[in-house]
Amino acid sequence: MRNPKIRRWLILGIASAAFIALIANMQLWQMALSFLFPGETQVLHPRADLLILTLEHLELVGISSSLTILIGVPVGIWVTRPSGSNFLPIVNDLTSFGQTFPPVAVLALAVPMLGFGLVPTVVALFLYGLLPVVRNTIAGLRAVPPDLLDAAYGMGMSRRQALLKVELPLAARVILAGVRISVIINIGTAMIGAVIGAGGLGSPIIAGLVQDNLAFIIEGAVPAAILAILADQLLANIEGSLTHSPQEANH
Amino acid sequence: MIRLEHVTKIYGDTLAVDDLSLEVNEGEVCVLIGPSGCGKTSTLRMVNRLIEPTSGRILVNGKDIRQVRPERLRQSIGYAIQSVGLFPHLTVGANIATVPELLHWEKSRIARRVEELLELVGLDPKEYAQKYPSQLSGGEAQRIGVARALAADPPILLMDEPFGAVDPLTRERLQAQFSSIQQELKKTVILVTHDLDEAIRLADRIAVMSAGKLVQYDTPEAILSRPASKFVHDFVGADRALKRLSRISIQGFVHPSPSIGVNATLSEAMAALQSHRSAWVVDHQGQLLGWVDQTTLSAAASVREAIVAQDVTEISLSSSATLREALSRMLGQGFKSIPVVDENRRLIGEVTLSDVEAATAEAEA
Repeated sequence: MRNPKIRRWLILGIASAAFIALIANMQLWQMALSFLFPGETQVLHPRADLLILTLEHLELVGISSSLTILIGVPVGIWVTRPSGSNFLPIVNDLTSFGQTFPPVAVLALAVPMLGFGLVPTVVALFLYGLLPVVRNTIAGLRAVPPDLLDAAYGMGMSRRQALLKVELPLAARVILAGVRISVIINIGTAMIGAVIGAGGLGSPIIAGLVQDNLAFIIEGAVPAAILAILADQLLANIEGSLTHSPQEANH
Repeated sequence: MIRLEHVTKIYGDTLAVDDLSLEVNEGEVCVLIGPSGCGKTSTLRMVNRLIEPTSGRILVNGKDIRQVRPERLRQSIGYAIQSVGLFPHLTVGANIATVPELLHWEKSRIARRVEELLELVGLDPKEYAQKYPSQLSGGEAQRIGVARALAADPPILLMDEPFGAVDPLTRERLQAQFSSIQQELKKTVILVTHDLDEAIRLADRIAVMSAGKLVQYDTPEAILSRPASKFVHDFVGADRALKRLSRISIQGFVHPSPSIGVNATLSEAMAALQSHRSAWVVDHQGQLLGWVDQTTLSAAASVREAIVAQDVTEISLSSSATLREALSRMLGQGFKSIPVVDENRRLIGEVTLSDVEAATAEAEA
């Protein structure tokens, strides 16, 4: 029964190791890209090695997604409590607005206030990723059947105990699905950080677009795509380890 | 002991419970019954402060429940509801352990208690403790619901249609099981139902409610034979005589019946049938096999051959049955008497139609 789960983690571990080995080996990229684009004199972006760019990228995504989760989940919980229910509509509107507002526009507005680099990019990514987390937290908590809460309170659970022992465990999968969407969106959107000097895998792509150098674009796009797939699998595995219902655990 | 004093509950401009006073004695089962919207569930939920009365007060063992923190109060009162409300992400064992865990019992004590309760409700702990609620049948889930309510051994039990969501046959089994558990544990119980048969079967006292008011509070026998108002009279219905029979055990009515050993000769059997139209046939251990009458005997070569052998469990009753069940068997089988057997299916005696008539007449008087 546990084997499929262990296997999924094992596959993810091997894939991640392979990915690190791939991006750490710049000679390989030099050879492959030179072979694919014999006409280009320069096939690797000179700013930094892929390993550094990937780490910069992960830093952007890590900080902004952590903020999204740390703020989005509690806000979602709060507006489903009696004390915060008045704020539910406004929170819904604000998070929707955060997502309809293009991150590039956020950058344009944020740079004059926050300068160039990491901070405005994190702000833009945070706002953009908030919606799925808040929405799914609200939806997950709302989907908990009222009679379960009646039983929980009726047996003497406090609101806090009911939240921790009943509501959150039952909503966890839906909340995590929101986190997953948010993180994947962030990995893609974090490319724009390169425009204002935040670095990351967007750097070679932007440079490639500006200089009309397809090799640069591929150097940035391939690792970013693999990164998104790995992150998606990581979160899927965490989601899978939360299965409580026996039918699903059997598979 | 639970005591409600002039309790009123108003929602907006609806009067849900109207100046209700009620006392439930220790160890008694009080069944709240009435048509939907009569305020019975509201009344129940005020006892564990899931809702607060608009006015009036509720005392548990002489103490005003407003002086107890709601969580504390509820941990000391068992609560079982129609939808059961088992937590789907927890095993059956963990569900039963909910209140003991809130009370910070030791792990070993909780494990022992879970095992004990599963046995009490007739489910094998080894098989069921690790199951998830989605793997249970409706009847099993309701039993776990009752076990969970009993987990911390609360002196008081509140039950809101606890046997509502199952088929009639399962419901009857659950009611019988609850009766025997209650006989052993002697909890003070308030049970809400809209099923009069259930009320009659389980209650020490029935509280009939209508439009938020308590219209009659008495023993099932009294409610059936002396309805206090036209409402109660109509509510208990025209078949109240029949319903009353389900409060009367057959035990006082069983008398020895003519029986013939399966190895008796035909002439012995014929002799035994001189004064009766038919007789029950038993084997050498006294177990009921069927019955014979003069017609079947005269056409057969031996007693064994003459037995009209129906499914014995279908025609016989256990001594814990009620007169209503006896009557229903008689009508169903077209018999004027029904054999009563012990747990080993040995014939004890019989109950006759005239016994039922006599009991009805007696209660009517």
